[in-house]
Amino acid sequence: MANMWYSIDIYRRLISVNIRGQLQYRVSFLFDFLATALITVLAFGSVALILQRFNNIGGWTVFEIAFLFGMAETAFGTMDMIFSGFDPPYFGQRVRIGSFDQMLLRPVNLIAQIFGSQFILRRLGRIIQGSIILLIALTQLDIQWTAIKITMIPIVFVSLVIFFGGLFIIGATLSFWTIESLEVVNLFTYGGTEMIQYPMSIYPDIIRNFFTFILPAIFLLYYPALYILDKPDPLGMPAIAPFLAPFVAMAVFTLAIVIWNYGLRFYQSTGS
Amino acid sequence: MPAIITVEDLNKHFKVYKHHRGILGPLRNLFSRASSLVRAVDGITFEIKSGELVGYLGPNGAGKSTTLKMLTGLLVPTSGKIIVQDQIPWKNRTNYVAEIGAVFGQRTTLWWDLPVIESLDLLQHIYKIPDDRFQQNLNEFRELLELDTFLNTPVRALSLGQRMRADICAALLHDPKLLFLDEPTIGLDVVAKERIRQFIQHINEERGITVLLTTHDLSDVEKLCKRVMIIDHGKLLYDGKLHLLQEDFGGKRQLIVDFMENYESVSVEGGTITERDGTRMTIHFSSQEITASELINQLSAHYRIRDLEVREPDIETTIRRIYEDRLLEQPE
Repeated sequence: MANMWYSIDIYRRLISVNIRGQLQYRVSFLFDFLATALITVLAFGSVALILQRFNNIGGWTVFEIAFLFGMAETAFGTMDMIFSGFDPPYFGQRVRIGSFDQMLLRPVNLIAQIFGSQFILRRLGRIIQGSIILLIALTQLDIQWTAIKITMIPIVFVSLVIFFGGLFIIGATLSFWTIESLEVVNLFTYGGTEMIQYPMSIYPDIIRNFFTFILPAIFLLYYPALYILDKPDPLGMPAIAPFLAPFVAMAVFTLAIVIWNYGLRFYQSTGS
Repeated sequence: MPAIITVEDLNKHFKVYKHHRGILGPLRNLFSRASSLVRAVDGITFEIKSGELVGYLGPNGAGKSTTLKMLTGLLVPTSGKIIVQDQIPWKNRTNYVAEIGAVFGQRTTLWWDLPVIESLDLLQHIYKIPDDRFQQNLNEFRELLELDTFLNTPVRALSLGQRMRADICAALLHDPKLLFLDEPTIGLDVVAKERIRQFIQHINEERGITVLLTTHDLSDVEKLCKRVMIIDHGKLLYDGKLHLLQEDFGGKRQLIVDFMENYESVSVEGGTITERDGTRMTIHFSSQEITASELINQLSAHYRIRDLEVREPDIETTIRRIYEDRLLEQPE
């Protein structure tokens, strides 16, 4: 227990060091912040424009899609900020230049050190824009709120953060095996977020099956959203489907930790 | 003195996979099975006693760093035994590293964007160093390593020598009894090298810290270490006193003389003329037979000399010689 408080204390100090470092480059920070924010607005803006013409996508109105979009953006942005130490290209670089070895030389829990190694503040741009879109959706949609639905909102959010965080860790682990850049991992993380911003029913079977059975992202946002918005399930999943988000997230995260430990053992037996 | 490091029949073998190039290269590399075995460390045995200052020498790629990585718990050996301060480095690594100091020359332990002093403050928390102890150590190291001029400079703005001094200070604040240094003088100028050598000597003599340093700079070892271990191709070739090694296996020293005039014949006693190019002449000599100053006196008594240079035999050549000629038997 004392050990855990110590790790948290060190984590807190590392983060504050990292943030102070980022604020030294004020102009660059400001531009990055604005750019990330702008990208989110533009991305949603273009969807909204298309919707104006066609009224709906796969039976989803503009505000229903805004709900998916806002939730996915906010959660992914939050994850991207908290887990930035595990961001695969960044972590891979750390392994390549040997600064990962420096972490192994410090008497602090390794995971706490990696979380503490990077905390990209400019992701706030994405988070803020995402939450504004989400808030607009929530106020404009006529949701029949129940206790379950209200509880689901934070649970879905946290599950998304943990789910994508797990993917980041798995991606980071790959750098123990290969020194090549790991753009392919982005397909699942950044690509995954893009996917879940839209109703899963609009995708071809092969893509939807992938995100149902291989990487079960469909349960993280699409099914909870169907339930919250009282929409019928066009795919005929069991009635439990909307409530699986936290379990899927925990499963992916547990798998990530197992792979991480295995990868670390491999690294320590091979060096770079 | 009890042994602080015990290493027995240590092996570290790597599989090196064939690397594919091209667009599909990375993908093929993931599944490729073609590999060859590299014995980076191949059956090494040694013991280091508390308070020793040992140089670990070898050309690049000889296995120095791999050994050091195993001693510091970064790498797990393929086989063999390592006991350091009664612990096995890679078991319970987090506890182990709290009790050693380590500096890997080309990387910094410090935080890039932070002023040096703030990095050191952070390390105080990381190593849970009591305030009074921290202040005492910091004051001493500040003076000895002359850190004051750049304590408030961000690490990214330090020169290589300054960074190395800050890093060595950082590695000692928590009072480790054992310090590992990987190439502590690499890339530094003569003055910076000397300052670091003096400091290493100081902490070894005054504080009794055991030091194991790797280097491929022979002058580091000459100035600092009574004992050297030489490794090449993963095998320990020599473990013993430095001066014995130099006397027995070192190449000859060279005196290069540039004369004022082009003398028709020059005679030297105690050395061999190996090269002559106009006014320039190279003489090989051995320290057991004649000192450099005797040789110079002898020459300047008969000839007018414009310029002189004494070249020491370099360690790379000595080690190659030892290795290729199998001058040393494998230590048991």
